[in-house]
Amino acid sequence: MIKVLAACGAGVNSSHQIKDAVEEEMRNRGYDVQADAVMIKDVNEEMISKYDIFAPISTPDLGFDISIPVVEAGPILYRMPAMSAPVFDELEKVIKSISK
Amino acid sequence: MNTIIEFANSVFKPIMSLGAPPLMFIILTVLALCLGVKWTKAVEGGLKLAIALTGISAIINILTSAFSKALTQFVESTGINLSITDVGWAPVATITWGSAYTLYFLLIVVLINLVMLTLKKTNTLDVDIFDIWHLSVVGLLVLYFGHNLFIATLLVILIGILKIINSDLMKPTFNDLLNAPKTNPMTTTHMNYMMNPIIMVFDKFFDKFLPFLDKYDFDAAKLNKKIGFWGSKFAIGVYLGIFIGILSHQSVKDTATLAFTAAVCLELFSMIGAWFIAAVEPLSQGISNFASKRLKGRTFNIGLDWPFIAGRAEIWAAANVLAPIMLLEALVLPGNRILPLGGIIAMGFTPALLVVTRGKLIRMIVIGAIGLPVFLISGTMIAPFVTATAKAVGAFPAGIPSTQMISHSTMEGPIEKLLAILVGHASQGNIQFILYSLLAIAAYILIFIWYAFQMKKRNRAYAEAEQNK
Repeated sequence: MIKVLAACGAGVNSSHQIKDAVEEEMRNRGYDVQADAVMIKDVNEEMISKYDIFAPISTPDLGFDISIPVVEAGPILYRMPAMSAPVFDELEKVIKSISK
Repeated sequence: MNTIIEFANSVFKPIMSLGAPPLMFIILTVLALCLGVKWTKAVEGGLKLAIALTGISAIINILTSAFSKALTQFVESTGINLSITDVGWAPVATITWGSAYTLYFLLIVVLINLVMLTLKKTNTLDVDIFDIWHLSVVGLLVLYFGHNLFIATLLVILIGILKIINSDLMKPTFNDLLNAPKTNPMTTTHMNYMMNPIIMVFDKFFDKFLPFLDKYDFDAAKLNKKIGFWGSKFAIGVYLGIFIGILSHQSVKDTATLAFTAAVCLELFSMIGAWFIAAVEPLSQGISNFASKRLKGRTFNIGLDWPFIAGRAEIWAAANVLAPIMLLEALVLPGNRILPLGGIIAMGFTPALLVVTRGKLIRMIVIGAIGLPVFLISGTMIAPFVTATAKAVGAFPAGIPSTQMISHSTMEGPIEKLLAILVGHASQGNIQFILYSLLAIAAYILIFIWYAFQMKKRNRAYAEAEQNK
């Protein structure tokens, strides 16, 4: 199973949209993906190390180097399938490279 | 005619008397169906809203019941009258979405956006449906103080237009802050950026008189990393509970109860916040589909909730530093009645500070400290309204003394809230209030025009820099 971490301001709105969309689309594409949504200010090195992919809206400055692949998921929030497709394609590519 | 009214009454009266959760379940489900959302999704959204309303009521009940006695004794033992419980954004948002007027104001703002897009007065399509609640609070405040839907609608339209214009003005700054290319469509119409004009005044003051302070800016990300879990919701709940327990002379056992109850409530508030945002999701998607179908072939910017810039560490560093400052200000500020708790991390303010100062941390903190009292005063003044609205949707415990109130200490758009209170009073026909309101609105618009001028200057500089690259 691939674990994805989404993060936004309060950990309730944007990050949940990303979490739900990533889980749904990746399952449709045949991958076993589970995502969590958190407040970006609570993200630390220990938390990130428990995940396979970090999917913030755009790459944040967390004060440490992010040790896992980062996929910027902002376009998912635009609510237009044509614009979010590249994010899912990128995610799929990363998942494939991890699973190898 | 009479039979129609009688028929309508016989249908709607029983539904209205069901209370807010079932009522909003019905309204939201039907509305989503009308927008062409699949019926299972529509029902799922409606149910989640009803559950969120019920859940948030239960948690407000736990929090106010636990703190009611302590806050009364806090007033007695310290002589400082801070009796309003600060529940933070999630309960206020939820009870605002518990009012059917929010859907009406949403309709108005969606129409404004579509008209402005069609007339090419803006380039932003707002898909942040959930955050309409900020503007709905403005409209509901006018209704609360003035009972005049027409005037409330006018004020909502005015601020709605300015918010959309502001999203265009800020667009190049967002690209700069995100280090994103010009093709990046992310912007926002979020209410918290309506503080920009006032912040800009102080920022210009800094440019002229205190520019040397900028060299003391420190690394925001490093500070946040050091603060670690101490800045998280449950930790804040624990030490504010202890703080109130000690100052109100509670026993060690009662103090521990306060601390852990506050921690639990702050965590649960945002969990329930997530349910109810999920509840609005089918509606948001329905409106976005409707709008983008009508605007086919045109590229535009997309208005999101504010946190697409939450990756900037300055937002959190400033909020962390400002939290204890706000607590001190709350203790000494005349007229303030709120003891900061749920809203002590000022997310309703620091993103605007970031956008105007473009990440100059010392400026963010100093201007933040100057601006926070406005939030506390606004939070105090809207407390009767928030409490009454909570009661109206059944989200307020019965056993609490009627003097007990709830509010939100750092709610976005404090200036707009104060404006709404003035306009609400004015709409009852009081000449003095009408005069004050007109003056206040004139000042509000003038300072926005000045700000727009400054932002256009900034945006020209961005465009030039782009060309010289």
